Amino acid sequence: MQDLRDREAEAPDGAPAGKAPSELKQWPIQMHLISPTAPYYQGADVVLAADCTAFALGSFHADYLKGKSLAIACPKLDDGLDVYSEKIAALADEAQINTLTVVIMQVPCCRGLVALTQRALADAKRRVPVKVVVVGIQGEILSEDWL
Amino acid sequence: MKTLEGLLNSEIKDVIAYHPEAGTVLADHGVGCVTCQVGTCLLKDIVAIHGLSADEERAVMAGIEAVLAGKTPAGPTPKATAAQPAGASGAAGRPAAATAAAPSIKYSPPMAQLVEEHRLIKRWVAQIPAVVAAMDLDRAWDRELVLDGIDFVRSYADRFHHAKEEDILFGYFDADSPAIKAFVTEHEIARSHVREAEAGVAARDAESVARHLGAYGELLASHIKREDEVLYPWMDRELTTSQVGELFSRFAAVDEAAGPRFTKNYTSLVERIERWTESQTEKQTQTEKVQVAR
Ligand SMILES: [Fe+2]
Ligand SMILES: [Fe+2]
Repeated sequence: MQDLRDREAEAPDGAPAGKAPSELKQWPIQMHLISPTAPYYQGADVVLAADCTAFALGSFHADYLKGKSLAIACPKLDDGLDVYSEKIAALADEAQINTLTVVIMQVPCCRGLVALTQRALADAKRRVPVKVVVVGIQGEILSEDWL
Repeated sequence: MKTLEGLLNSEIKDVIAYHPEAGTVLADHGVGCVTCQVGTCLLKDIVAIHGLSADEERAVMAGIEAVLAGKTPAGPTPKATAAQPAGASGAAGRPAAATAAAPSIKYSPPMAQLVEEHRLIKRWVAQIPAVVAAMDLDRAWDRELVLDGIDFVRSYADRFHHAKEEDILFGYFDADSPAIKAFVTEHEIARSHVREAEAGVAARDAESVARHLGAYGELLASHIKREDEVLYPWMDRELTTSQVGELFSRFAAVDEAAGPRFTKNYTSLVERIERWTESQTEKQTQTEKVQVAR
């Protein structure tokens, strides 16, 4: 457990209060609910985000979601991970996605989402460039690397 | 060429020609422009393209200002040299960043493919000195082998690899930028050496073949090193995620058009040349032993 209440807010006091616009252009987003045949996945740059990342990363919408399609999942708590594997393979082969960006938290269990993605794409016929972004619990980007 | 401003807007080959110490300052910070055969990048662009940190950029600028003032430039910042292996010392006891082992760089998948293709090209380039030393152009077999090497350069290094660079990758960047122009010009210089080498084989002019293949090898070794260590990392920083995906698909289409056996066949060709030069070296060693015994 970590108490981060002393941490300075990203937007300094006195900054304009305007709303950050949502960059979400689809629904649903949860991995069990999405369909790889949905039009917004076809040829798209897709973000597969661990559930916690959008809460930790203040600029998730602007920096990672903008212009992309989304699926979210938790590799630790979700059931039916086989279904996730099949859907990731279908995103590669059927939706012919352009890229897949896997956004995870720094906690070790989140690595499971990368491992699951790699196994699923190894089973796919088509190869897709995969980028992994690791978010720290204070919302900082710890790494951003192509696999 | 008196002011720093003037120097920043000058082509690197002129900067180094007038102020060789400026080349040393750059080399100390891992900027290997001294070996570039074109040298038309402006000094100010070089500082940007090499992705130097703010500290490194300040150190480079201070070094160049010191050169202009006629003082001995201070050594590189500790950060810039931290990765250098012990004993890799350059002029004036400074670590020679430019000659140090290549750092391990993480590339995007399409860039990693180009780097992988460089590996095969470098294997052939490494054979050139042994090939030109051992070839006898009066022997049909030797002529055939040199022409095979030339075919590798034309088909694999140029039509396949350079075409990915020129026709696809470079299209994502400003074609008028001096850096891109310099790399394209080097491709053209490489092509002209290959044409001359081929004509040399037809004329059985071993001296010309050796000169042009040798120049080709030297050019490509430096060209590939600068692509791997400077150009591609810079491009990876500039490309968006979506562009990386697009490049990956477009390269895959080139691979598919070349056919599944294309790379395998050219790898076999390079292996054949490697076996030949090895056998020639063995023969030479045997001959020398016999001569010593007599
Ligand atoms: Fe090139
Ligand atoms: Fe290249």
